[in-house]
Amino acid sequence: MMTYIVFILSVIFVVSFVGFSSKPSPIYGGLVLIVSGGVGCGIIMNFGGSFLGLMVFLIYLGGMLVVFGYTTAMATEQYPEVWVSNTTVMGVFLLGLLMEVMLVLYVLKSEEVGVVFKFSGVGDWAIYDTGDSGVFSEEIMGVAALYSYGAWVVIVTGWSLLVGVLVVLEVTRGD
Amino acid sequence: MNPLIFTTILMTVLLGTMIVMMSSHWLMIWIGFEMNLLAIIPILMKKYNPRTMEASTKYFLTQATASMLLMMAIIINLMHSGQWTIMKVFNPTASIIMTSALAMKLGLTPFHFWVPEVTQGISLTSGLILLTWQKLAPMSILYQISPSINLNILLTMAVLSILVGGWGGLNQTQLRKIMAYSSIAHMGWMTAVLAYNPTLTMLNMLIYIMMTLTMFMLFIHSSSTTTLSLSHTWNKTPLTTTLILITLLSMGGLPPLSGFMPKWMIIQELTKNSSIILPTLMAIMALLNLYFYMRLTYSTSLTMFPSTNNMKMKWQFETKRITLLPPLIVMSSLLLPLTPMLSILD
Repeated sequence: MMTYIVFILSVIFVVSFVGFSSKPSPIYGGLVLIVSGGVGCGIIMNFGGSFLGLMVFLIYLGGMLVVFGYTTAMATEQYPEVWVSNTTVMGVFLLGLLMEVMLVLYVLKSEEVGVVFKFSGVGDWAIYDTGDSGVFSEEIMGVAALYSYGAWVVIVTGWSLLVGVLVVLEVTRGD
Repeated sequence: MNPLIFTTILMTVLLGTMIVMMSSHWLMIWIGFEMNLLAIIPILMKKYNPRTMEASTKYFLTQATASMLLMMAIIINLMHSGQWTIMKVFNPTASIIMTSALAMKLGLTPFHFWVPEVTQGISLTSGLILLTWQKLAPMSILYQISPSINLNILLTMAVLSILVGGWGGLNQTQLRKIMAYSSIAHMGWMTAVLAYNPTLTMLNMLIYIMMTLTMFMLFIHSSSTTTLSLSHTWNKTPLTTTLILITLLSMGGLPPLSGFMPKWMIIQELTKNSSIILPTLMAIMALLNLYFYMRLTYSTSLTMFPSTNNMKMKWQFETKRITLLPPLIVMSSLLLPLTPMLSILD
C-alpha cells in the first residue's frame, strides 16, 4: 500500500473537492477543506517536501481556514445544508463520486490511461528514489530560490494579495 | 470610492495587463490575468445597484473559467514540452484549450454571450475600460502563440463572431449593447488574420481601440445611453452630431476614413493567401455592422428624431471636459493616408 500512497491520497483529495463543490453550506465546505488540506499536505510530504507540507498545515489550515471558519460561523443560518438534506446537492455529490470511482477503476485496470493526456496506469504515481538529489533537498532549494531569483514573483503575489484585500473591502462596502 | 483606493485598483489593472504583455513565463502570465480580473471587479461595480453587481458577477465567472482553462493548457504544455517559456504551444490539445480560453476572455463566438450583458450593466466609463483595455492582454498572448493555433477553430470562431456581432446588434437601441456587438465583430476581424499576418491584428486592435475610445467619449460627453437620448445631441452640442457621424462611419469601415484601413489590409492579406470566399463573406457580414451604425447616424445627425417637446432639453450639471476627445476624433477618421506607416508595427 505504501507504494501507492500518493495515488490513494490524491483520490481522497479529489473526493473532498467533489464534497465542497457540490455546495453544501460553507461550514461543511470548510470541514471538507480541512480534510483536503491535510491530504494535500500528505501528498507534498511524500515527495520530500516536509517544510511545505507543514506550512500548509500551519498557515493554510491553522491560519486562513480558522478565520474562514469563525466568520462563517458568525454568518451561518439556522439549518445549514448538508450533503443529504438537499436532493440537488446529494445528486451532484454522488455524480462526482461516481465519475471518480469510474476513473479510478479505469486507472487500476488498464495499463495506459489517456483521458486528456496519457499516463501509464498507477505506476506513474509511485515514487521511486531515482536521481541524485545531491546534498541539499530540492524543496528547501526551491523556497530559497523563491526569495533570490524569484523576487519579482514575491513582489507580484504580495501586491496581488494586498489588492485582493482592498477589492474585497471595496466590493462588500455597499453604498 | 475613496480616491486613493480607486487609484491603487486602477493601477493594478494596468499592472496586470503589463505583466501579461511582458512576461516570458507562463505562470506569470496567468498571475497577470488574475490580477487584472481581481482589480477590475470594483471598477465595474462603481455604482452599487443590482444590475452592476450582476454584470460584475457574470464577468468574474466567465473570466475565471477562462483563466482555469488557460492554466490547464499551460500545464499540458509543460507536460509535453518540459518548459515554461512563452513560445508556440507544442501540443495540439493544449493549443486548442488555450485558444478557447483566450476566446472566452476576448468575447469571441461561441463565448460571446457575456459581452452585451456585462457591457449593458455597467456605467459608460467602466464599459470603455472593459471593451478597450481588457482586450489588450488576451490579444497579446494570441499574438505570441499564433504559429501554433489550429486554423480551423480560429477561422470558424472569427467568421461566426463577425456574423454574431453584425446580426446581434441589429435589434439594439441601447448604445452600450451596440458597442458590445461591435466589439465582438471587430474581435472576429482581428482573429481572422491572426494566422496569416499577426501585424495586421495589432493594426486592427490599435485602430479599433481609437475608434471605440472616441465613440465612448462622445457618449459620455452627451451622457446618453440609448439611441433616443443620443438623438437629442443636436439640441445640446450640434457639433458632436457631425463628429458622431464621422466616427460611426469610420467604425463601419467606409473608405476615406481610417476604419477602412484594417479591413482593407486584412482582405488583401487573406486574398494573398488564396482564400477568396472567406474575405468575401467577412466583407458582406460587415455590412450588417454598417447598417446599425448608419441607423444611429440617421437618428442622430441626419434627422431630427421625433420626440415630445419636453424631452428636447437635456439636463446635465455642467459640460464634461474630455481632454483627449479632439485628437482621438482626428485619429479615428483621418489616418487612412498613413497606411504605409504600418510597417513600424513589425
